[in-house]
Amino acid sequence: MVTIAAPMGCLMVWQRLAFLSDTLGHAAVLGVGLGLLLEVTPIFGVLAVALLIVFALNRVNSFNTALSETTLAIISHTGLAGGIILVGLLPSQSVNLEAILFGDLLATTTVDLILLLVTTVLLLLVLRHHWRSFVAVSVSREIAQAEGVEVRKIQLLMYIMIALLVAVMMKVMGVLLIAAMLVIPTTSARLFSRSPEQMVLVSGLYGLGALAGGITTSFHFDWQTGPAIVVSAAVLLLITLGITRLLNSSID
Amino acid sequence: MQAELLLRASNLIYSVGKRVILDDISFELRRAQITTIIGPNGAGKSTLTNIVNGLISNFEGEIERAPGLRIGYLPQKVYVNTLMPLSVSRLLRLTHNASDQEIEHALAQTGVSYLRQRQVHSLSEGELKRVLLARTTLGQPDLIVLDEPTAGVDISGEIRMYELIGELRTQLQCAVLLVSHDLHLVMSKTDQVLCLNQHLCCSGMPESVSRHPEYLALFGQQAADSIAIYAHHHDHEHDVSGDHAAHRDD
Repeated sequence: MVTIAAPMGCLMVWQRLAFLSDTLGHAAVLGVGLGLLLEVTPIFGVLAVALLIVFALNRVNSFNTALSETTLAIISHTGLAGGIILVGLLPSQSVNLEAILFGDLLATTTVDLILLLVTTVLLLLVLRHHWRSFVAVSVSREIAQAEGVEVRKIQLLMYIMIALLVAVMMKVMGVLLIAAMLVIPTTSARLFSRSPEQMVLVSGLYGLGALAGGITTSFHFDWQTGPAIVVSAAVLLLITLGITRLLNSSID
Repeated sequence: MQAELLLRASNLIYSVGKRVILDDISFELRRAQITTIIGPNGAGKSTLTNIVNGLISNFEGEIERAPGLRIGYLPQKVYVNTLMPLSVSRLLRLTHNASDQEIEHALAQTGVSYLRQRQVHSLSEGELKRVLLARTTLGQPDLIVLDEPTAGVDISGEIRMYELIGELRTQLQCAVLLVSHDLHLVMSKTDQVLCLNQHLCCSGMPESVSRHPEYLALFGQQAADSIAIYAHHHDHEHDVSGDHAAHRDD
């Protein structure tokens, strides 16, 4: 999970798409509800809703403008609200809303793990193949398009990948915390990275650190795993911030 | 014999809602020729370059590109997200691979090889423009599109940059499409001028454009005179000041 969260998180931060994962996360509650209603595995409900949203956004989004925060906020909270209502209507024993929102690593099934693994490998292959284009689009859509990158295609690919990632990460992290896991290690890595590729590697290390910290604290103090991972990531960010501040001031 | 045709635009029309941005624009870009687009603010200069670049596709009319046409593009503004670490040499490898020597050479041409290891965010506007100009020369471009390449560059750097654009055209044998407002500085290097104000007011050789009544209406006599002084270096057929004085009386 960390191996794919690092490059995806970096690309999303560079392309100002971090809020999109949050939106898809919130709307995923609706997906879970629909999945249960139609009696399919919730992850497919989530994926369907997420894909529907990204295809709609891809159609609406013009070439030059970033996704509107207002649009995303409306989709995000409508999805969450609708999902909560839907889940509430279902027989209570079938859904654990808390697990959806905050994740439940320890309840992860083999099927979940296989899906996670397959998705990770698939996304890594796509990233590897199109890496230069993804970075070029992050720097300047105009230059990329003029010089032969199919920006529209790369954008749609990016959206689909985010939808997939949110769907498979949901079980582990919970819908509310996915965005945090994509953004926080990335921000730590930015503090002392000098190239895009270095930032991806370093944020992978931070992700691993957060995962280890989260699982350890979760095991020892009986914290919920998802939130524990996010808090670990945040603590690592604070420590890094402190260290870089100290280093900078000692140079002065 | 005419140089190889790289791009032909025929009867381009582009409008947003009811507002017509470009009205019936036709022109050709040929190898090793410099074409300059001039025009007042809001004339549609950037829109036209965006159509040439393939950034805008919902226009009427036709763009024919030579097969496999490679473009190097310097946009008017580039904002690199500060959350993205990016060195100058990595920026030069943005869309195609380049060896260290090629990068060194490209940066040296625009006089900024000392910036190679610097982070893009630490550059001034003028430095970034020079780096971006260097970038367009990599990857054997057939056409270089430069949208206001000297905005933010100091005046001596500006003159040097236009000289350089002239040299690049000769060295790389590429066509150059240049958007500029520094009329008097670009004219001496330009083969073709497109004077734009939604429609193509006039086009052709710099000297003929600068005498065109629509051009004079847009930019005034003073601009025309300053160009004429430059044009004079290449044209000893007529007395520039006298010619234009006569024209003003027309």
